[in-house]
Amino acid sequence: MHAWPVTLGRALDNTWVLDDPHVAPHHATLTLGADGLPQVQVGDSRNGLQIGRRRLRAGEQMPLPAAGAVLAIGGQRLRLRLAGAPVAPEWPLAQPSVAGAALWVLLAAWVAAQVLHRWVQLDPGADLVEWLPWLLGLPTGLAVWCGLWALGSKLFRHGFEFSSHAAIALAWLLVYEVVDLLVPTTAAAFGWPWLWQVYNQWGLPLLGMLVVRSHLRQLLPQRAWAINAALATVLLAGVVVTGVINQRQLGRVFSAPYMPTLPMPALRWGATTPLPAVGDAMVPLRDALQQQARAAAAEDADSGDTGP
Amino acid sequence: MRACAACRGAPAGHDAYTACVSAPLRPPARRCPPARAGWLAGLRTTLALALGTATLALPAAEPPTAGAPPAAPAASAAGAVSGTGQRIYAEMQPRLLQVRTLLKTQDSQSSVGSAFLVTPEGHLITNYHVVSSYALAPQRHRLVYATVDGQQGALQLLAFDVLHDLALLKPADPAPLRGRGAVPFRASDGPGSEPERGARIYSLGNPLDVGFAVTEGAYNGLAERHYLPTLFFGGSLSGGMSGGPALDAQGRLVGVNVAARRDGEQVSFLVPAALAQALLARGRNATPITQPVHAEIERQLLAHQAGLVDAFIQQPWRAASHPRYRIPVPMEAFSRCWGSGTNTATRGLVFERSDCTMDSAVFVDERLRTGTISVRHETYDGSNLGALRFQQRYNDSFHNEVVGRRDAHRVAAQCTERTVAAGGGLPLRAVVCLQAYKKLPQLFDLSVLTASLDSSHAGVQGRLDAQALSFDNAQRLARHYLEGFGWTTTPPSPQTRPKTAPAAAPKPASR
Repeated sequence: MHAWPVTLGRALDNTWVLDDPHVAPHHATLTLGADGLPQVQVGDSRNGLQIGRRRLRAGEQMPLPAAGAVLAIGGQRLRLRLAGAPVAPEWPLAQPSVAGAALWVLLAAWVAAQVLHRWVQLDPGADLVEWLPWLLGLPTGLAVWCGLWALGSKLFRHGFEFSSHAAIALAWLLVYEVVDLLVPTTAAAFGWPWLWQVYNQWGLPLLGMLVVRSHLRQLLPQRAWAINAALATVLLAGVVVTGVINQRQLGRVFSAPYMPTLPMPALRWGATTPLPAVGDAMVPLRDALQQQARAAAAEDADSGDTGP
Repeated sequence: MRACAACRGAPAGHDAYTACVSAPLRPPARRCPPARAGWLAGLRTTLALALGTATLALPAAEPPTAGAPPAAPAASAAGAVSGTGQRIYAEMQPRLLQVRTLLKTQDSQSSVGSAFLVTPEGHLITNYHVVSSYALAPQRHRLVYATVDGQQGALQLLAFDVLHDLALLKPADPAPLRGRGAVPFRASDGPGSEPERGARIYSLGNPLDVGFAVTEGAYNGLAERHYLPTLFFGGSLSGGMSGGPALDAQGRLVGVNVAARRDGEQVSFLVPAALAQALLARGRNATPITQPVHAEIERQLLAHQAGLVDAFIQQPWRAASHPRYRIPVPMEAFSRCWGSGTNTATRGLVFERSDCTMDSAVFVDERLRTGTISVRHETYDGSNLGALRFQQRYNDSFHNEVVGRRDAHRVAAQCTERTVAAGGGLPLRAVVCLQAYKKLPQLFDLSVLTASLDSSHAGVQGRLDAQALSFDNAQRLARHYLEGFGWTTTPPSPQTRPKTAPAAAPKPASR
């Protein structure tokens, strides 16, 4: 617009015609005040207009800041910028976070890890057909996962950032492979059931959250704080809810009753205990169990169940 | 149930159902015939099926199996009762009753069974499991009897023997049952106290609530390898006959109907009469029970486990004849062991499995059978596989064990785990889990899981389960079991396997 006042509305004699059924024929007028700042006056409108959080009714008037005021008129949002106002800097084009070669290295490493996995699971001399579901299924799954995130990118960032999402997924899959090998092995090697339990209960959810976080930050880089807060809340709520449910139903925090991973003989570094120690270790179990049994019996009595 | 539990750990690819069915002898499932309404419906279907099969099988002219009575199987309830049977029924029918457990609030029956008079004053004997709902919740149930001639009346519970599944009752009003006489006991000691093996005995009761009936069968002595004395009756027992008398040709009590195997034909069980006599002597002047009997059940189970664990620990472990490991396998004095394994020519993991279970579980209620010890092990040979592949399978096998889930009677298990030095210093991962009963506070269920950790291509994993133990006995039994593991010879170096099997320990005379 090159001249004041600027009139907004559905009638054809406005400076700016808004073709919107929720807009009045002469909805609002923008003028330049004596102080050099723009102001807005609402015309004969049923809906009025909204500036920031403030709603103006017909006939009301309000001064506007020099730059950045957003006017909601009917279903339209108009941002007001005066000729002299500073312009926001240019955004960089979305770049793949990992360059081509590195992506192929990640892919190769992951494929190697999966082949090793499958090799361990199959008996020696297994039919080649037994590799098929593995070799077809995993890449398909990965492609679908990355494709869905890329669609999200298309929606929010106007670019189908498949390779960026693939790099994120592959990097985290490799992290998972390493952690999933190291942590249970370490727990078994040193005889640390607590480490195994912590990893078994919370390791995978935590890794999952980190993967989703990376994908989301690729999608919505401006919303880092909100993403962190939302995921942390979900994770925390999950951990607390599982813990509480387990405590109520099982009388312990962890779902698994014992550590099932066994150390290889060469990696067994934990100490062995003499047999009588096992009997002694049962004493605290007895006390905890008797307490739980009393509580459960009392609960049954309260709920009217008189079964044994 | 238990039968399928035994099949649960079958090697991958084995359908559990097929495994159970293809090994017809295998399931140690023992069923208590009486029951709840749902049970009866189920039983009726089974019975119809069995009849159909018997009819179809007849023209095939299969040789009769040894010990089977000449009467057509499964049809004996319908007819083919000898003259003695008619005489016994005629003589005994005034003393025969049906016992119903009713829900107080709606007068619908929660279980039915049979019973018989044992004194002229009207004391009557039935199975504990016929009246278990009343015993555990007397405020919600009541007991009534119905005689063959249609008399009805209320019953009181005087005493029970949960271990042998017996209960002693008396009518609230003895008048209608007076003058009917009593079923006499067969002398319980001295020569001739036991009928001859193969002698005809006559079991009376009200099968499936259809009507009072007499079933004829053969006396086969004590069932073998039962810790709790149980008579093996070669005749058909159906649901609803529980608690009825089994009589010899002179009409004297031999046993009390209690259970039948569903996976066989005419394999039924009786509680020996002497135990009923002992219960009568103990409880005939007792005051009627009006409160839940958990404390008494606990007392009886404590006595049971004390004897059982002592007897179990006194027997030496049997040699499993494994070249590398000493593995605790119980003598088959009162448990039965089943073995299975993979073909040794397999490309994958070679393993052998042994599964020893006890038949005589103690019935507490529909959802709780307890008081048994079972021992199981699997030996693995991964020399075809290499260390990595072996370790993956060995771990998976240790992973798939289920320990003590929470249920109506018990809270969830708690476990403690250690790597212990078993015999000769064999490193053994040992997981010991305990589970407590909500209303039997001095009793615990014990599960011990073990896995040897000494080799990268061989191993043994074991499991012991025992129910309703005192804490002290749980400790003793866990230790006794762990002590059963070791190396067969002096510790071999981890990388060399003994090439020759050492002389196997002398095998016990098989029973």
